[in-house]
Amino acid sequence: MATRLQYENNCDIGVFSKLTNAYCLVAIGGSENFYSTFEAELAGVIPVVKASIAGTRIVGRLCAGNKNGLLLPHNTTDQELQHLRNSLPDSVAVQRIEERLNSLGNCISCNDHVALSHPYLAKETEELIADVLGVEVFRQTVAGDVLVGSYCAFSNRGGLVHPHTSIEDLDELSTLLQVPLVAGTVNCGSDVIGAGVIVNDWIAFCGSDTTATELSVIESVFKLRYHFFE
Amino acid sequence: MRLEKCWFCSSTIYPGHGIQYVRNDAKIFRFCRSKCHKNFKMKRNPRKVKWTKAYRRLHGKDMTQDSTFEFERKRNRPERYDRNVTENTLKAIKKIDKVRVDREHRHHTKRMKPKKAQLRREAEKELEQSISMVKAPAAQQQDPSLTLPIKVKVSKPETVENRMEE
Repeated sequence: MATRLQYENNCDIGVFSKLTNAYCLVAIGGSENFYSTFEAELAGVIPVVKASIAGTRIVGRLCAGNKNGLLLPHNTTDQELQHLRNSLPDSVAVQRIEERLNSLGNCISCNDHVALSHPYLAKETEELIADVLGVEVFRQTVAGDVLVGSYCAFSNRGGLVHPHTSIEDLDELSTLLQVPLVAGTVNCGSDVIGAGVIVNDWIAFCGSDTTATELSVIESVFKLRYHFFE
Repeated sequence: MRLEKCWFCSSTIYPGHGIQYVRNDAKIFRFCRSKCHKNFKMKRNPRKVKWTKAYRRLHGKDMTQDSTFEFERKRNRPERYDRNVTENTLKAIKKIDKVRVDREHRHHTKRMKPKKAQLRREAEKELEQSISMVKAPAAQQQDPSLTLPIKVKVSKPETVENRMEE
């Protein structure tokens, strides 16, 4: 089931939150409604953690993670790092990386088994991603754009990519990631998928501007229509 | 808040001090005061500027490798907060600082040790060669304090027991 919500009247919720199978990070500031929506759906299942990264609210775009780990940019403060380490379960490895490309949420897109990375990421960073997140990393572009984290969102069951991705690209990515992919939009025609929708294996959240058609596409590609908890 | 090191002189930068310069390749340079910042703008190499830590380390004036330096490294993988560990760490910081200061002092004294002998040799030589600038040669023979004592080997005097035996 996909839920629609807003952060301070802004529909780009993927900027202010990060959702994985093991935890959910939410930005601080704004009204408690944003936080409450996540809590309502996820309360007992996974920890919903309020955090800031480098003193900013744009946590979704600065960090990259899956159920095995969380990667943070080099300007994350020590206090924030400690807060995240204390709030997240021990199975999640929290690591700060020294990388020129700071916005890891825009540069890395991952699920629990495979990750797409920005082609200009450093070699050490790629190794760290493989190590901390426990994934196989592919340097790829999506629809000719290097910011893979912004223009695609995928979970273990399906993925949504930039609407202008060609069919060959779609097939290639699909075989790399081993999940069915669909090119679509979110937030009423916005092509920045990573900002518009956040998804894990059983739930998705998207901006309030998302039309019913887009919502049905999301639910079908991520296979959310089936009742997960029997 | 994090206490960073100055890129030029390696001193700690406390909150409210200094300038941070971010270059176009996203490398951050932190300076503790305008002296270091201006030297950087002049493109001076800190390894060649005598008063910086980089120069002193490079030229062996200060300790380079020590196990106490390992404690201060920046760590990127945090551990879960544990009250006892934190308490012990705070106690350990004081001890480690003391150990480091002691070792630095020892390094310094070791470095300065050959100086004393060298100063003595130089003084001896100067006394030999240049004493004539101070006192005339004739005066030296009358006043023995102006020359160094001549070392003469003296044979051991007969002991009382030996004389008795004879």
